[in-house]
Amino acid sequence: MLRNIKYFFQMLLIFIFALTSIVALFFLIFFILKESFPAIKELGKEPFTNIYWYPTSRKPEFGMLAMIIDSLLLTGFSATFVIPIGYFISFYLHTYSNPKEKKYIKSIIEILSGVPSVIIGMFILIYISPLLLKLEIWSTENFLLASIGLMILSLPYTISLMTESLDSVDKSLEESSLALGVNKYKTTLKVTTKAAISGILNSIILTINRIIGETMVVLLVAGGAAMIPSSIFDPVKPLTAAIASEMGEVELGSLHYHALFLAGLILLFISMVLTVLSKRFTRRWKR
Amino acid sequence: MKKVLLLLIVFITSFGISSTLVIKGSNTVFPIAQLWIEEFKKIHPDVEVTLEGAGSSTGIAALFNGTTDIANASRWLKNEEIQKMHEVGKYFIPIVIGYDGIAIIVNKNLNIEQISIETLSKIYTGKIRYWNQVDPNLPKKQILVYSRNTASGTYETFEKKVLNEENMAPWVRMVESTQFEIQTIEQNPYAIAYVGVGYVTEKVKVLKIDGILPTKENILTGKYPISRPLFMFIDATNGYPESGLIKNYITFGLSKRGQELVEKAGYVAAYGF
Repeated sequence: MLRNIKYFFQMLLIFIFALTSIVALFFLIFFILKESFPAIKELGKEPFTNIYWYPTSRKPEFGMLAMIIDSLLLTGFSATFVIPIGYFISFYLHTYSNPKEKKYIKSIIEILSGVPSVIIGMFILIYISPLLLKLEIWSTENFLLASIGLMILSLPYTISLMTESLDSVDKSLEESSLALGVNKYKTTLKVTTKAAISGILNSIILTINRIIGETMVVLLVAGGAAMIPSSIFDPVKPLTAAIASEMGEVELGSLHYHALFLAGLILLFISMVLTVLSKRFTRRWKR
Repeated sequence: MKKVLLLLIVFITSFGISSTLVIKGSNTVFPIAQLWIEEFKKIHPDVEVTLEGAGSSTGIAALFNGTTDIANASRWLKNEEIQKMHEVGKYFIPIVIGYDGIAIIVNKNLNIEQISIETLSKIYTGKIRYWNQVDPNLPKKQILVYSRNTASGTYETFEKKVLNEENMAPWVRMVESTQFEIQTIEQNPYAIAYVGVGYVTEKVKVLKIDGILPTKENILTGKYPISRPLFMFIDATNGYPESGLIKNYITFGLSKRGQELVEKAGYVAAYGF
């Protein structure tokens, strides 16, 4: 009897904790939807068709297209570098490194992934942007720097995810491949990668998800100009930077306030789509 | 039960003794009010002060429905507000607490001493993009235009005094802090930015606007065009407060120390020049 009651209370405790996080998530989504709804109603499709973001001018314009494009371009550009580099590093870690080496590299990567993004942003501003001035590039906050920051930030994440998925492949598969006379390089490239493809696709999507949501680095080094860049030295302003920069002082309940929540909703939507995609991949390729 | 009652009594009396001053309004005035309150609390330790910066309009609206004692404002009353004052039979009075002057800064090595308001407006609205369009003697380099973000009070003033209701060009960089602007100008030979006069350092060059430098005197006499007064509005329907918390706060703000703190916050003191 006593054991039953104890068991019941334990379950109840676990259930409550689990429920709290789920409820928090639902409240978050509900809150963002509720706060962005007036903007959707009032602005219609203006945010997605207009590239001019002048929320505080006398004739306010709430075009977010430039910022959405900035977000996507930054993410795309950074991901095209981070994903191959991450793959090759985890390829090396999985295939060629000896256990000691692997341990050291992994712990270094873990430390790097713990560095706060604001530190990375400051590092770029203080040490890398002056280098641009020496090269006579006068635009010291730009697309390229933001992208470099995002790469530094997301690379450790990508490497650890990819290494994990490569390592989780059944050893016997590789051993049989090696036994057939295929070299290590071909084995990892053709056999292990194929077996781990769901994990690798998953880590790609999680990396992209992380890059698109990153705020501090882009706030500091992207330049904060809501324009569509025509070169990598042009300043940009992704959605996250706009929210962080303007939310602090916006008049509560104004259209600008609701529009910023709409920006948040767009980010949440992108992130959810990516998460659903990643779940899909995992399921499909597991079979 | 007795304990609870005792606690309740202590709780209520402690609230009763300490009096509260509520201040709301402009984000531009916010740093001044912050410094004032810090010192004001040292003189009157039993006073509770709450400060909220949500924009001049919010502050004045709060003064109308009585949810604030003092409304900070970086602008004069709007016509609708004056009308509403008549309708509801209230009378708000302004107290000038300081002036906000904006200096236009460039790198020390850039060979330019002055600029006109029109040129400045053209640079920020994007009609001029190269330095040689400003002055043919300057190099043909792109102007890197820096501005504070839209949340800043400095931005509001600049927009109103310079831009003439036009929008800034999309490529204007909206940055988060004045410090950042100054550091950038120190290093970058082709950048331009505007900052509150209190923040100017010796490492940057301040441009004359139509031949006038933003000195304290020029701002106070109104010669320098990009400046504005900063106000506190109080409800004086029943006469100017002759004693009490509001009066003490105003007196402190206009005292020598209070005006020193206005300068410390980066603005120009209104009194004691």
